[in-house]
Amino acid sequence: MRAHTPLRMTFAGVLLLAGSAFAAEGTGFTLKMDRLDLAVYDVDVDTDSSKFNEYRDWSSGFAIPKMKISGEDDKGRFLEFKSSWVGRRDARYTLDYGVSGRWSMMIDYNKIPHNFGNNGLILFAETSPGRWQISDSIQQSLQNTLTQQYATDRTKINYAYLDRLITPYLNAANTIDLSLQRDRTRAVFNVGQMGHLAWKLDYSHENRTGNRPYGASFGFGNAIELPEPIDYATDGATLSGELNGKKGGLTFGYRYSTFKNDVDSLIFDNPFRITDSTDPSAYQAPGSASVGGAATGQADLAPDNEAGTLFVNGRLRAGSWSMNGALSLNQMKQNDKLLPYTLNSAIRGTDFDHSTFAATDPGALPTANADTQVDVLSFYGSANGKLGDAFTLAFKVRYYDYDNSSSRIEFPGYVRYHGVWEEIGRVTVPYSYTVQDLGGDLGWNFGEASRLGLSFNRQSWDRSYREIDQSDEDVLKLTYDTKFGDFQLRAAYELGDRSIGDYSTEAQEESFIHPEGINNLPALRKYDEAERSYDSFYVQGWWYVSEKLDLAFGVNQRNDDYDKSRFGLVSDEVLQYNAEVNYAVAPGANFYAFYQRTERQVFQRSRQSGATPSTNPLDDWDVTFDENNDTAGAGFKSDLGERWKLDLGATWNKSDGLADFFSPPGGSPNLAVGFDDYEDIEILSARFALDYAITANISAGLDYRYEDYTLDSFIARGLENYMPAALLLNANYGDYTAQVIGLRCKLKF
Amino acid sequence: MRKNSFIWIALALAAATAAVAQTEAAAPATYVGAEACLECHSEVADALGPHGAPGFGKLSDHGCETCHGPGSLHVDDPEVVANRPTLTGKSADEKSAICQTCHNGRAQFFWSGSTHQTRNVACTDCHSVHSPKSEDAQLVATNMLEQCFSCHKNIRADLWKNSHHPIREGKISCSDCHNPHGTQTAKMVIGESVNELCYTCHTEKRGPFIWEHAPVRESCLNCHTPHGSNHIKLQKTSVPYLCQQCHSNTRHPGTIYDNTKLPTADNPTTGSNRIFNRACLDCHAAIHGSNHPSSPYLGY
Repeated sequence: MRAHTPLRMTFAGVLLLAGSAFAAEGTGFTLKMDRLDLAVYDVDVDTDSSKFNEYRDWSSGFAIPKMKISGEDDKGRFLEFKSSWVGRRDARYTLDYGVSGRWSMMIDYNKIPHNFGNNGLILFAETSPGRWQISDSIQQSLQNTLTQQYATDRTKINYAYLDRLITPYLNAANTIDLSLQRDRTRAVFNVGQMGHLAWKLDYSHENRTGNRPYGASFGFGNAIELPEPIDYATDGATLSGELNGKKGGLTFGYRYSTFKNDVDSLIFDNPFRITDSTDPSAYQAPGSASVGGAATGQADLAPDNEAGTLFVNGRLRAGSWSMNGALSLNQMKQNDKLLPYTLNSAIRGTDFDHSTFAATDPGALPTANADTQVDVLSFYGSANGKLGDAFTLAFKVRYYDYDNSSSRIEFPGYVRYHGVWEEIGRVTVPYSYTVQDLGGDLGWNFGEASRLGLSFNRQSWDRSYREIDQSDEDVLKLTYDTKFGDFQLRAAYELGDRSIGDYSTEAQEESFIHPEGINNLPALRKYDEAERSYDSFYVQGWWYVSEKLDLAFGVNQRNDDYDKSRFGLVSDEVLQYNAEVNYAVAPGANFYAFYQRTERQVFQRSRQSGATPSTNPLDDWDVTFDENNDTAGAGFKSDLGERWKLDLGATWNKSDGLADFFSPPGGSPNLAVGFDDYEDIEILSARFALDYAITANISAGLDYRYEDYTLDSFIARGLENYMPAALLLNANYGDYTAQVIGLRCKLKF
Repeated sequence: MRKNSFIWIALALAAATAAVAQTEAAAPATYVGAEACLECHSEVADALGPHGAPGFGKLSDHGCETCHGPGSLHVDDPEVVANRPTLTGKSADEKSAICQTCHNGRAQFFWSGSTHQTRNVACTDCHSVHSPKSEDAQLVATNMLEQCFSCHKNIRADLWKNSHHPIREGKISCSDCHNPHGTQTAKMVIGESVNELCYTCHTEKRGPFIWEHAPVRESCLNCHTPHGSNHIKLQKTSVPYLCQQCHSNTRHPGTIYDNTKLPTADNPTTGSNRIFNRACLDCHAAIHGSNHPSSPYLGY
């Protein structure tokens, strides 16, 4: 069904255009084909890496890279239909139609592929949406073997042993590509555009289908990577009105959005179990501690949800002053049915009154549905105006209140990774917060076109249930913008300082019914709340040397320091610089080149602990991440005589990272070994296009592209399908070298 | 007396002459119509785009003079530089005010007071009525990306990083998240907050869930950097270290995951599932929130 959508869209577009043209007959409406590009491509990729087509569809065969049709009449009616990559997974079709100043409509259909990995190896088969099963015989065989080994010598149940067990099955496993597709439709209808009163209806619909990698898990010893089935529908509609006058304006409306997931949960077999069982160490199975656990696990996938926003925006002008305001009320809620504690029929839960129940029984839950709701009240206001000819002054205020009014649900316990009931009472925590901003900006305009600005902003947070109840961040910013002669400069310097109230390490107890004891490091400060200071600067300059030549250069830096954080993120420093040149070699011939380097250094500290937080400084460890990123590009476009056009271009990006660990000797850890593949990635993308104008309206040409991509990342290093305590899909998103050769023809009518 | 009268008469005549001359010099220019402009500036007509389309005539009777002002003085004597109705030399606000005569609603509703307006960016710095290079929006550059990069050069390299939104592939653009003409929110994002903007595409993460991850609700930017990252899922720092910046709890969260916990190319035995593949997310997949009763640790 869905495969025919592009054809239907094209057909519908052609019909619409034909209809419009027919309707326009005799009214002076002229319709013309502005552009039609036809091409044949041959694509050669040396590996099956999904990265090559991560967000696009370069495939061999016939293609219509671009098409544009437009029309108009002398009464202001207009039409424009544009499409790109017709019929492909990354196609886009856009239709604009209307009468200038009276009404207009826009319909856009945008297809966005997202490929995560190719040729993953999977033991499972999807027997129904969201249900991944393994052959019973495999489960039975593995369970029998493991049970027997556990009885005879359980110490031998280690990675090597499990690898030998599972590898024969992996050798016969199926392959799967991990990929999803977003198909977006948007329709916008405007009435009274640019008039005093205007209305707008904006509707959107998106189908998201396919899958993406998901970390399903039976616990410490048995992480299982699976394709998460994606079958989402997102709909949104906004009806808004706008009223404009000379002194002010008002917009108002209501925005509604729904999300629907057709696959509520992911149910997956345990390769090592065919019957349910439980024991206190089942979350560590399979291993020397246990070979027990569930035969199937269940994960809750994204719940259906909805949001509605009522908004009103206003502006007012009084003399040289203008005031803006935006007020909105947003309500987000979801009420999905809750899944049972587990599918493991061997587990019995214990209620608050110490009675027991089948943990598979949804009726044993304290509530049947999630019934969550968040109300957001936001207000933004600003006033800005002139003080005489030279000075400007602005004030702004923001109030954003995120109020999670969901009931707190008390659970008498939970099932740990489908294997064991933990009689630890837990309660949900409806985190809420309020953010307020108050700021001002003083500007001084001087000289021909120069401005010096000084601004101050205080942002205050008020949170509930978190480590920090209240914090204030003061930001002072100095800006300088100028144009003088052939030069232009934009610069900014910023100083920030966040102060906090008491840091409550007890905040983690909020989700426990009875205190369980603090197990995070007491001296750790979570960076999003922690006390910090930062300074940053930004300088970007342009030199328009002549009408043919211009240069740009810039440097910017930001240093975030969390000096009071003994553990956690301690500092994050970024330095960037760039240069660019644009040169008009001759009429119709342009050259550009750019280079940018980013150097980033992140430092964080931790302390390794056993069952209780360590107090031994020798257990400390820290890591410094050094990341350097170089990006360079160059291009040349030129008319070669009257008929030939040349387009050359290339971009190169290289990331080089290093993780430098340290731990003092004598503690645990006693050794820290860094690595130099903290995401070393390189991509070179080059294109060459040569077109020959056969006539004024027809040209033919060659389109050649080259890409070379290498990924050398610690996180993907040495991966196989069965790793210690993990069964992976190990899909390919790695290195590739690709060449695309196309013959194309461009037509204008 | 006679001599004095002569002087007074002469002065009065001189003053009257000067007054008449001044009146003539200050005589307001009148509209001459686009045809008069095109007699000399015909090369402009083809590149006008929407401003040259018949629909424009429905909105304004004055053609070129809608923006440039009445041109009779310039037509009468084209050589007088002072009479040329050019926008060159006007301040950014003066230029933008001309555009705002029509473009003052919709996306431009909050132009006044916006970051770009405040820092003296004029409409004409990004848009060209006479010689646009882009297919859409009459931009000075060939497309929106290049237009934004003309100032925001530090973003360009981010888009080429390994993990990125499909921006350089042309499937979304800067204006899908930012309104360069001004919003009331910081960084000119479209939406009441960063999160509410992100939820428009990542609706499945909107929740609210029964088990929430607090920093997720406060700002997606706590963990993600939207323009590009070398780390999976646009993470600011790669997992597991990103997680460890907040979670150094007892046992496995606070454990050092250094090179000794990584597999080598030909020996997987040293690997830990807390660092390879998706690290913490290999088990804590529901990091954005979960509805599962057994998922207080956001496992599933």
